[in-house]
Amino acid sequence: MIEAVRLLGFGEGGWAAALLSAAVVTLILSVLSFALGVVFGGVAAAWRLGRSRILRFLANGYGTVFRGVPDLLTIYLLYYGGSVALTSAGRSLGWQGFIGLPTFATGMLALGVISGAYQAEVFRGAYLAIDPGQMDASRALALSRWVTLRRVIIPQLLWHALPGIGNVWQLILKDSALISVIGLVELMRQAQIGAGSTREPFVFYIAAALLYLAIASFTGIAFRHAEKQASRGTQET
Amino acid sequence: MNRFCYTALVAALTTFGFAASAQDAPKSITIATEGAYAPWNFTTADGKLDGLEVDLANDLCARMKVKCTIVAQDWDGLIPSLIAGKFDVIMASMFITDKRLEVMDFTQPYAVDPASFAVAKDSELGKMGMSSEKFSLNDEASAKAAIEKLKPLLKGKIIGVQAATLIQKFVETYFSDVVEIRAYKTTEQHDLDLAAGRVDGLFAQQTALAATLAKPEYANYTIAGPGFVGGLFGRGTGAGLRKEDTKLKDMLNKAIDGAIADGTIKTLSMKWVHTDVTPVK
Repeated sequence: MIEAVRLLGFGEGGWAAALLSAAVVTLILSVLSFALGVVFGGVAAAWRLGRSRILRFLANGYGTVFRGVPDLLTIYLLYYGGSVALTSAGRSLGWQGFIGLPTFATGMLALGVISGAYQAEVFRGAYLAIDPGQMDASRALALSRWVTLRRVIIPQLLWHALPGIGNVWQLILKDSALISVIGLVELMRQAQIGAGSTREPFVFYIAAALLYLAIASFTGIAFRHAEKQASRGTQET
Repeated sequence: MNRFCYTALVAALTTFGFAASAQDAPKSITIATEGAYAPWNFTTADGKLDGLEVDLANDLCARMKVKCTIVAQDWDGLIPSLIAGKFDVIMASMFITDKRLEVMDFTQPYAVDPASFAVAKDSELGKMGMSSEKFSLNDEASAKAAIEKLKPLLKGKIIGVQAATLIQKFVETYFSDVVEIRAYKTTEQHDLDLAAGRVDGLFAQQTALAATLAKPEYANYTIAGPGFVGGLFGRGTGAGLRKEDTKLKDMLNKAIDGAIADGTIKTLSMKWVHTDVTPVK
């Protein structure tokens, strides 16, 4: 027990600073990937619901591929595939060395693409859950398309989508651990380094579990708050 | 992690990878390790890499007169990153296996962990103490002779081994006529039974035995007799590199020869793993 306190402390031979900064990396990576996923997911959902057959096909393909392929493979392909392509391109221009993609940005892109594929489904479902009578009512009130979208559709869409979006957030938070394979030191990799270097796996994995749990509960509260906000004006609160 | 992913990726990388470039002697190289496998390679709390392989990497680079950068990389990403060209050499306690040789190359082994018995100091075999001799199973005649010499000292003993390992296979093949074999799921379990007196001895890798015997409750036990290497125990731990880097492989092999010859590997090995893992030529 005393040993665990020393290992997780801030003093000499303590890993607290390393673990906390890795937890911050995990949090920032997850938040940015999730935000990127909102953009990808929003666009994909709009395309799937739109009239253009080509865009519908593209959005369908995007969802099928990135929800079907193992997340780890997506990460490997983006990073190693991208780096190999870049390096080959560099060679044809006379540059000899290895050109690696930046690990943080690539990890963020990979997770963003994956979370976008799931979020597209959530947004589409939320849109379809809106009573079509709402659109008729807006037209009857002579609201413009933009005002209808902003004041009628989006508030209801968010209300329907938030629980599902919260799920995708948790998924991305946990998927962020996979980014360690491309060399980013986030919480999981840091815990593994500590465990392997001190031969005290329990101390480090439990510490990591608690930090993940802390991030998840903290953001969970934020989501519940957002859901409450979004359901103002409805009876089902 | 995911076998299919991994195979597909390595295949893709090899196909789209690199044709051998001009084989000049490199002036600077990047060596990757896992940084999470104490005492072979690990990270200190303030983020520095340390351990047997880190010391050895620095020594080899000095011998080759090459500027080296040592980096840490998660185990699952080691081989794909090597093939993609992110670094040039892997020194991460990676065993030389046929499967790995399909996609990459290795230097000669720089460490081979011998397998030995550990028994009570006052037993017949224990009085012999730890021998610095090593027998390679590739040289069957001399290994067999050493085994025959050990047999009478082990008669009727109960020996603990880790189940479903090459260790168990070795003891079953060569000693099943004199000892009773008890197989355990993990080495920690047979260690506990040795301390409790439920087994008379253990047969395991010397580095694992040395780590166990360093604890106070094993003060009356010792590693005894010679170490066995080679044959079914495999080819040991080597430095991994890309197949096309033949010049670098020659340089590393020569540097490893030097580190074996002048006792550097033995010194580092005694310092970090408390037993001698110098490969047998």
